[in-house]
Amino acid sequence: MIDWISIPLVAFPIIASMILLAFVSNGTERMRERLGAPIRMTCLVFSLIMLMITTGMFFQYFGDVSWMNIAFNDYEYQTTYSWIESLGINWAVGLDALSFPMVWLTTFLLPVTIIATWNEKSGATYFPLLLLMGGALIGVFVSLDLFMFYVFWELTLIPMFFLILKWGGKDRKYASQKFFIYTFTASVVMLLGLITLYFLQDPYSLPSAGTMTGRSFSIPELIDSARSSNVGDNWYLGEQMQKILFVMLMIGFLVKLPAVPFHTWLPDAHVQAPTGGSMLLAGVMLKMGAYGMFRLPISLFPHALYHFQLALMIIGMVSLVWGAIVCLGQTNLKKMVAYSSVSHMGVILIGIATMQPMGWAAALFMMFAHGIISPMLFAVCGAFKHHYHSMEIGAMRGMAKHSPWLATSMMFAWMASLGLPLLAGFVAEIMMLIALWHMISLDGWSIWWMVGPALVLALTAAYYLWSMQRTIFEGGEEGQPPANMVGHPIPDISNSEKFAMLIMAFFTILFGIMPWIGLDMMDDWTKQIFDGLIIFVGKGGA
Amino acid sequence: MSGVENIEPFTDGFVSALCPELVLFAGLILLIIIPNLGKGTVRIPGTQTRVMWLFGGDRFKLTSNPRLPAWIATITLGAAFVLTMLSFQDGVDRAAIVTDSGKQLMLVNGFSRVFELIFFGALTLAAFASMNRLEVRGIGPKLSTNDLYNNRRQADFYILMLTCALGMSVVALAQDLFVLFIGLELASFSTYVLVAFYKETKAGTEAGMKYFIVGSVASGVGLYGLSMLYLWAGSLQFDVLASQFVINGTDPLPLIGIGFVLVGFGFKVSAAPFHFAAPDAYAGASSPIAGILATASKAMGIIGLLRMLLIVAAPEASEDGTVWLTLLGILSLVTMTWGNIAALGSTNPKRMLAYSSVAHAGYMLAAITAIGAWNWDDSLAGDGGESAVAVLTALIFHLVVLVAFKLGAFLVLSILESDGDASRLSSLGGLAKREPFLAVAMFIFMISLAGVPPLAGFVSKLLVIMGIVKVAIGQMGAEIVAGGDLGLADVHWVWWLAFAMVINSAISMYYYLRIGVVMFFEEAEEGRSGPLPVGWQVRFAILACLMATLFMGVASDKLLEICEVAAQSLNYGWN
Repeated sequence: MIDWISIPLVAFPIIASMILLAFVSNGTERMRERLGAPIRMTCLVFSLIMLMITTGMFFQYFGDVSWMNIAFNDYEYQTTYSWIESLGINWAVGLDALSFPMVWLTTFLLPVTIIATWNEKSGATYFPLLLLMGGALIGVFVSLDLFMFYVFWELTLIPMFFLILKWGGKDRKYASQKFFIYTFTASVVMLLGLITLYFLQDPYSLPSAGTMTGRSFSIPELIDSARSSNVGDNWYLGEQMQKILFVMLMIGFLVKLPAVPFHTWLPDAHVQAPTGGSMLLAGVMLKMGAYGMFRLPISLFPHALYHFQLALMIIGMVSLVWGAIVCLGQTNLKKMVAYSSVSHMGVILIGIATMQPMGWAAALFMMFAHGIISPMLFAVCGAFKHHYHSMEIGAMRGMAKHSPWLATSMMFAWMASLGLPLLAGFVAEIMMLIALWHMISLDGWSIWWMVGPALVLALTAAYYLWSMQRTIFEGGEEGQPPANMVGHPIPDISNSEKFAMLIMAFFTILFGIMPWIGLDMMDDWTKQIFDGLIIFVGKGGA
Repeated sequence: MSGVENIEPFTDGFVSALCPELVLFAGLILLIIIPNLGKGTVRIPGTQTRVMWLFGGDRFKLTSNPRLPAWIATITLGAAFVLTMLSFQDGVDRAAIVTDSGKQLMLVNGFSRVFELIFFGALTLAAFASMNRLEVRGIGPKLSTNDLYNNRRQADFYILMLTCALGMSVVALAQDLFVLFIGLELASFSTYVLVAFYKETKAGTEAGMKYFIVGSVASGVGLYGLSMLYLWAGSLQFDVLASQFVINGTDPLPLIGIGFVLVGFGFKVSAAPFHFAAPDAYAGASSPIAGILATASKAMGIIGLLRMLLIVAAPEASEDGTVWLTLLGILSLVTMTWGNIAALGSTNPKRMLAYSSVAHAGYMLAAITAIGAWNWDDSLAGDGGESAVAVLTALIFHLVVLVAFKLGAFLVLSILESDGDASRLSSLGGLAKREPFLAVAMFIFMISLAGVPPLAGFVSKLLVIMGIVKVAIGQMGAEIVAGGDLGLADVHWVWWLAFAMVINSAISMYYYLRIGVVMFFEEAEEGRSGPLPVGWQVRFAILACLMATLFMGVASDKLLEICEVAAQSLNYGWN
C-alpha cells in the first residue's frame, strides 16, 4: 500500500512550513508584508490538500481499508522505515480508529483556523507556524514508535510557544514560558518512564530490536508482548513496575490533558494565545493527552489502570466539577472558555475511569466533538476580542442588536458546549453518563458518584447562559459598547469568520444528528481494545 | 577486534599512524615561520655581500597580511580534522607508539580518533570564527608600530590554538599517565593564555589570571597524585596501574592518589566543587575561546576521568571501588543541580552558558558513574560490557554534538561582543530584528542544549539517560519474564541519577527559553539597533554548527556507529 501518511501528512507540512519560514524570516519587513497574502493562500491550499487526503482515506478512496473491525493493535496504512537501527528506532506510522479521527480533526481544523484568522497580522510567519503545528500534531497521532512519538510530542511545543509569544496578549511572555516549561517537565518524566519501559523488555525478544541495545521502541510490538503477558493475575513487567510506569506515563498525559491539579498552565496559555493558537491548542493539542493515555498506559498496563481506577475517577470528577465552578466566577470570556475545556477533559477522564467500553467510546467521541466545538468557542472569543478590543464579559452588551452574526455564532457555540441534544457534545456526555450508571450498577459503586456530573450539567448551563445573557441580550438600546467603541460603528464579524463559524457549526450539527459517522468506528475500536485487555483482569465488563 | 600494531617512533607506519598530529606540528612550524618572512638580508662576514635571508626586514605583502596566520591555523586544523575523519573510512587502525623496550606510550584507536575529531572540529570552527574577532588594521609599511604590533598578535593567538590542539590530541592518545599529563599541561597553558588574550576588556586579564591560578593549583594537586601513584605502582602506565589496582587496590596510597588526580581532571570538566573559576573564565575570555573551554577542554577532562575510572573500575577490584562510585554519583548530582540553579540566576549570557556547561558536566559525570556501577556491582555485570559500551557511546556522542550547539551559541555571542558587549541579557535584545538568522540559530542552539527534539542535544541527552537506565535495569527484563515482581527498590540507584537529569533538564528549560524571549521580543539596547558587524567567517561557522545540530538530531545513525566503535575500543578486558 502506498504510504499516504509519512510524506503528505507529516513530512510535507513540516518541511514546507520550515522552507516558508526560512524564506520569509530572511527577507525585509516590506517583503514580509507583501508576501503575507500569497503565503496565507499557499498554507490554505496545502492544508486543504491534506484535508482532502484524510477525507479520501475515510471514504476508502486510497486503497481498500476499513475503519470498522480493525483488530486491536492492528493498523491501516502501516508503514515502517528503519531510522536508527542500533537503538531499534524506526519511522513507523499507521492509523486506527483511535488515531484516525484525531488526524482528520487536525487536517479539518487547519484550514478552518486559517480561514477564521484570515486577517491576522504578520501572516507571513503566522500561517506557516500553524502549518508546522499541524504537521507536528499529525506526527504525534500517526507515530507507532515511542521515539518518534516523543519527538513529535515535544515538537508541537515549539510552534505553539512562538504563536503565543509573538501574537499573544499582554502577559504572553509569562504564559508562553509557563506553558513550555510545565508541559516539558511532565514530558521528560514521561520520557524517563518510556526509557525504563524500553529497557525492561526481555533483550532481543522483539522483532525490531536494536542491534546495540536489543530492545525495541515499536509500539505495536510492545503492546503485543504486553497483551500476551497480561493474562489473568499476571502483570506485564510485574506488579510494582507496572504501577510505577503507569504513573510516570500518566503524569505526562495528565498535564497535557490537563487534569485538575496540573491544569494551571492552560488558562494562562489560552487567554494569552492568539485565536488561531487557541483553536489548535484546545481543538487538538489537549487531545494529545487523552490520545496518549489510550495509546500507551491503557493498552500496555490494564492492570495498573484497574488499580488506579478510583484515583482516575477522583481526578476526573474534580476536573469536571472544579472547572465548572471556576467558570462561574470568571469575568474574562476566554478564561471561562478555557476552564470549560478543563471541565470537559474531566468527562474524558471519567469515561476512561468507568472501565466500560461505552465509557471509553464516550471519551473518544468527546475528544472528537470537543475538537470541533472548542475551536468554535475560541473563534467566537477571538472575534469578540478583535471587534470589541476587550475580553471582559461585561464589556459588550446587546450584541444581538449590534452584531447579529457574532451573537448567533456565540449562542450556537455555547449551546453546543453545554451539551444541547442533537449537537455533537451531547452525544459524548450522555454516553459518559450511561457508562457511569452502568459502572455504578455493575460494580456496586456508590450512587453519589452521579452527583458530580449531574451538578455540572446545571453549572455548565448556568455559566454559559449567564454569560450569554450579559453579552448578547442585556442592554442594547442605550448601547453599552465598551468605552473605546463609543461613536464608532460597531462591526459584525468578517466574511471569513462567518464562513469558518458556519463550517464548524455544520459539523457540530452533522455529528450531533449522525454521530455514527465517527462513533461507529470508535465504538468498534473500544470493544476490540476492551476485549483485548480487560478480560484478563478478571472483570465483568459489558 | 584486531590486534594492536606496535610502532616505534620514526619507524614504518609512524607517519601514517600519527598523520593528523604531524600535520598539526608542521602547521605550527609554518605558523611560526611564514609571518616572519620578509626581505631581510644577512651580510656574509668579512665581505660586503648581502645575501637574501628571508627573515625579518620589511615583510612581503602576503606574509604581512594579518589574516594569514588565521588562515594557516584554520587550514591546518581543518586538514587534521579531515584526516581524522578519513581514518574512520575503513575502520580505525589500532596502532601503538611504543618505546624501545616496548612500553606503550600512545595508542591510536577509535576512542582517541573520536576525541581528536572533537578537538579539531571545535578548534577549526573557533579559529575560523576568530578571524572576525581580532582587530586587523590594514597591510603594508605605512602602518604605525602599534598597528603592526597589533597585527602581529594574530600569529601568537593562532599559535596558541595549534599548541592547544596538539596538547589535546596527546591527551587523547596517551597510554601513560605521565604522557597524558604533559599533553594536558600543554593544552592547559595554551588555554590560560588564550583566555587572557582578550585584552580589550579588563575582565579578560582578570579571568585569565583567575583561571591560571586555580588551574595551576588543580594541576599541582593532580601532579602530586601522580607522584603518589608512581610511588605505589612504580609505573604510570594505565594497564600496569589497572593490574596493580586489582592486586592491592585496598591500599590507602593509590586511593588518595587517584583522588588527587581526579581533582585535576575535575577542574577541567568544571565539575562542582572545582567549577568556581569556570564562570569567570568563560565570561572573561573572548567567546570563541569560551566555546573551546566548554567543548574541547571539557572533553579533554572527560578523557582523564574515564582513564582514571577504568583503572579503579578494573572488574575484580570490588568493594573499595564503590566508595568512588558513591562519591562520583553525589558529585554528579551536586554538579548538575548547582549548575542549573546558578544559571537560573545569572543575567550574563556567557556566565549562564558557563553554568549550563557545569550542568552538562554533571550529566557526563552521571554517565561515568553508570559505567562504574556496571563494573562494580556483581549483579549488574552479567551482560559482557554491553551496558558500559552503551553509556560510553552516549557520553562520546554527547561530547561530539556538544561542539555543534555549545560552540555555536558562543559564536553568536561572539558577534554581539564585536558589536560592543555580550555580557548582559539585554544585549541579545532585538537580535531577531537585527539579524534573524542569528536569532534563529541561537534559539535552536538553546533548545538543543535544553534537550528538545528533534535536535542533536535531545538525542545525546536521550542516549545518556538511556545508557544510565540500561545499567540500572540490567537483567531485570529477563527476570520479569521469568516471573519476578520487581520494583524501583530493585533498580540500581543510578536510576535516580537519570531521574535527577530529567528534572534538571526541566529546570534548565527556563533559562534557555529566556534567551529566546529576549531575542525575539525585547527591543535592542539603546544605540544598538543597527546592523551587526560583518564577517562571513563567523557566520559560516555558525551555519556549520546549525546544520550539524539539525542533522545529528534526525540522522544520528552514522555518528552513533562511530561512537560505538570508539567506545568498544576503550576496552580494558570488559568482555
